[in-house]
Amino acid sequence: MAMTNPSPSPRPAGGASLQVREATKRFGHVVALSRGDLPLANGEVHALVGSNGCGKSTLCKIIAGSVRPDSGTITLDGETVHFASPHDAEAAGVGIFYQELSLIPQRTVAQNLSLGREPRRGGFLVDRKAERQRAEALLALFEGVGGAGLTPHALVADLTVDQRQIVEILKVVAAEPRIMIFDEATAALDRDQTAVFFDLLRKWKGEGHSIVFITHRMDEIFAIADRITVMRDGVSVMTLDAEATSREEIVAGMVGETGQVRSAAHRTSGEMAAGESALEITDLRVGRVDGVTFTAHRGEIVGLGGLQGQGQSTLLRALFGALPWRDGRVSLDGVALRHRTPSAAMAHGFAYISGDRRRDGVFDIRPIFENAVAASLTAGRQPIVLRNRLIAQVSPVIDRLKLRFAGYGQPVGELSGGNQQKVVVARWLGIRPRVLLLDDPTKGIDLGAKADLYEELARLSAEGTVILLYSSEDAELLSVADRILVFNSGRIVRTLSGEEKTSHALTGAAFDTAAT
Amino acid sequence: MSRPAVGGAAVLSSLRRQTWVLAAIVFVVLFAVNAILQPRLLEPAVMTTTLQTALPLILIAIGQTYVVLAGDIDLSVGSIVSLVNVSVVTLFMAWGDGPLGILGAMAAGIAIGVACGVANGIAVAVLRFQPIVATFATAIVIAGIALWVLPQAGGQAPTPYWRTYMGGLAGIGVVVWITLAALAFVLVFQRSRFYAQLMAVGGQRQAAYQSGLPVMGHRIRAYALSGLFAGLTALCLTAETASGDPLSGQALTLQSVTAVVLGGTALAGGIGGAVGSMIGAVVLILIRNLIFFARLPFEVQALVEGLIILAVLAGGVLMTRRAAR
Repeated sequence: MAMTNPSPSPRPAGGASLQVREATKRFGHVVALSRGDLPLANGEVHALVGSNGCGKSTLCKIIAGSVRPDSGTITLDGETVHFASPHDAEAAGVGIFYQELSLIPQRTVAQNLSLGREPRRGGFLVDRKAERQRAEALLALFEGVGGAGLTPHALVADLTVDQRQIVEILKVVAAEPRIMIFDEATAALDRDQTAVFFDLLRKWKGEGHSIVFITHRMDEIFAIADRITVMRDGVSVMTLDAEATSREEIVAGMVGETGQVRSAAHRTSGEMAAGESALEITDLRVGRVDGVTFTAHRGEIVGLGGLQGQGQSTLLRALFGALPWRDGRVSLDGVALRHRTPSAAMAHGFAYISGDRRRDGVFDIRPIFENAVAASLTAGRQPIVLRNRLIAQVSPVIDRLKLRFAGYGQPVGELSGGNQQKVVVARWLGIRPRVLLLDDPTKGIDLGAKADLYEELARLSAEGTVILLYSSEDAELLSVADRILVFNSGRIVRTLSGEEKTSHALTGAAFDTAAT
Repeated sequence: MSRPAVGGAAVLSSLRRQTWVLAAIVFVVLFAVNAILQPRLLEPAVMTTTLQTALPLILIAIGQTYVVLAGDIDLSVGSIVSLVNVSVVTLFMAWGDGPLGILGAMAAGIAIGVACGVANGIAVAVLRFQPIVATFATAIVIAGIALWVLPQAGGQAPTPYWRTYMGGLAGIGVVVWITLAALAFVLVFQRSRFYAQLMAVGGQRQAAYQSGLPVMGHRIRAYALSGLFAGLTALCLTAETASGDPLSGQALTLQSVTAVVLGGTALAGGIGGAVGSMIGAVVLILIRNLIFFARLPFEVQALVEGLIILAVLAGGVLMTRRAAR
């Protein structure tokens, strides 16, 4: 594909219609997709919704050629097509945004954006100037919201998560596809970045491109989608017109017969104040965290709020010994702590659950058993692995979280993202922690799984566990936390409890000082 | 006050991308120490001789680099050198020492090297054998074929062939010209589209595949390049020794990997470059020179050589840690 034109706008030749009918796919003994249908019309934004593990990502990967269906047909503009590889699909004009980013961390932004389509010079050399110009033109689409350091020359490894997501989006656009698939492309974007992205989607749609859009956020569906296909348990259950449907109808389609999501029991802060103080943090300084002081009570769920990257994750990682702190004091039940490693933190009863499963959570190719008991093994220090006793320790949590799995011997990598996260949660709850550190633990998991996790949190807090929860979703903090500490630039700028704990106050506090 | 700090960070960050810098520093230091111990090193003739010793390792390390950058490893390069060496010498004797015979034998040698590389690539990329074990096994097979071609060291390379190699062109040694040509190849090649995609394949294989790159083909091509450079290495070695030896390449395999790592290329793939490997190869030769001219007792020479290599590796680790901060 010769691409001399560095224009950032996808090719104006317009979109295409694509029909997927009755696609099926199994991975080993897990059926990922049992009847995947997707009618994508020319020039529409089509939202694909459903809980984790319902087959959305598999369906998208089939369209993009990186997963081959066991059966089913795909027609592109009325003609049946078979994509044997991502390369085939790309040649047919299908571009996909991968949830697991497809960027090469060791290469620059410009090199990633032209990967596989490097502009030529003298036949086989890369035209670096054209490559840089193309990157500049693409980055200009997110001008003003990309943040510092998002330049063609930057290494992808040095970018923040949201910047990588922007580069991944631009990489899709750079290929000038007729059909664009965005699988949770907004997960790490902030409000302004999402707004810019939506404007671009509308513009591309206006130029006739067909767009498939996956998100877990209901607001985004109604903000951008023309039609909505709802999936449940590997089946496309219905396709709806966005104009003519409602949240209730979509949620009902996603969860099926079995009722709605319950929100965690709400407690007043008055009850909490009565509890003894357990975890005391005084003037802690580490990385972005710039002098944080607070006390968490036994059985209290303390929320850490504010914009992304204001030091919340750093604080949690520091408390877990993963980022040793420089200054400040930490004490638990009156005993001063100075642990410097996660294993020392575990000995004090700390547990840390991260939403970044790939970095902090699962051992991909290892069985569920090993993944679930990893913490119990370390904490217990038994010289011999007593399989049944360990399973007995974690299985109550696994049952309560309603993990869907074939057996403890199944590799955890075969589970969907949400189910993998349940295994990670079970691993840490299995050791009955005194302090539970939650670092955006529900990132990318579905509503049902979230509700199960909240119930577990309520149970733990009733038993007296101190829980610190950082979440990128304000709604989660508001419904789960007893008290919210709002972070900005590494400091706590406000504490919200009781009556003040509203969405309005939280957003206000987060953005208040952010402007300065 | 924050300005110089930012500047320093930028310098460190760009140093981190120029992975050969540490090897270059070590090279300068070693060269200076060598020149003090052996002042004649600065004479052009002695320099040319030193380069002649280093050239086989330089060439083989270049080929190894491309395989390592793609995230693989080639433990058969030494055996390929042996096989090409004995094959070329055998053909020299069969085809006589006319220009056609010599050029024909050289071309056949290169073709054998490339064929071995392609076979390695197919074993690793198509049949999906683990690179370390697969190329270890093909190394044994290739060494076996070399023994079958020429069971004992011997044979004779034609005089015009080795005379040309040892001689000069326009007042400069032929080995210097070969080194310059190799450097030119490396510099041009690392601006090619293939190279850019190879780095992606080694950096994050799944991501490269999902981006539509021909991952399998690129890995095979990297092994073919490694075979090509092993063939060139064998031609140089044949000219240097003027004879065939089925064990001639043995030691070169691990030396090539060491040169690649000393040159700043990550064994995990995706980071580094062949310029560093060239410097790394020269550094290894200089270390050996140094030990020789320092007149160390024979018993401790190997010990000191190993310790110096470890010290250089430790320096590399310290530098990347500081740059990462």
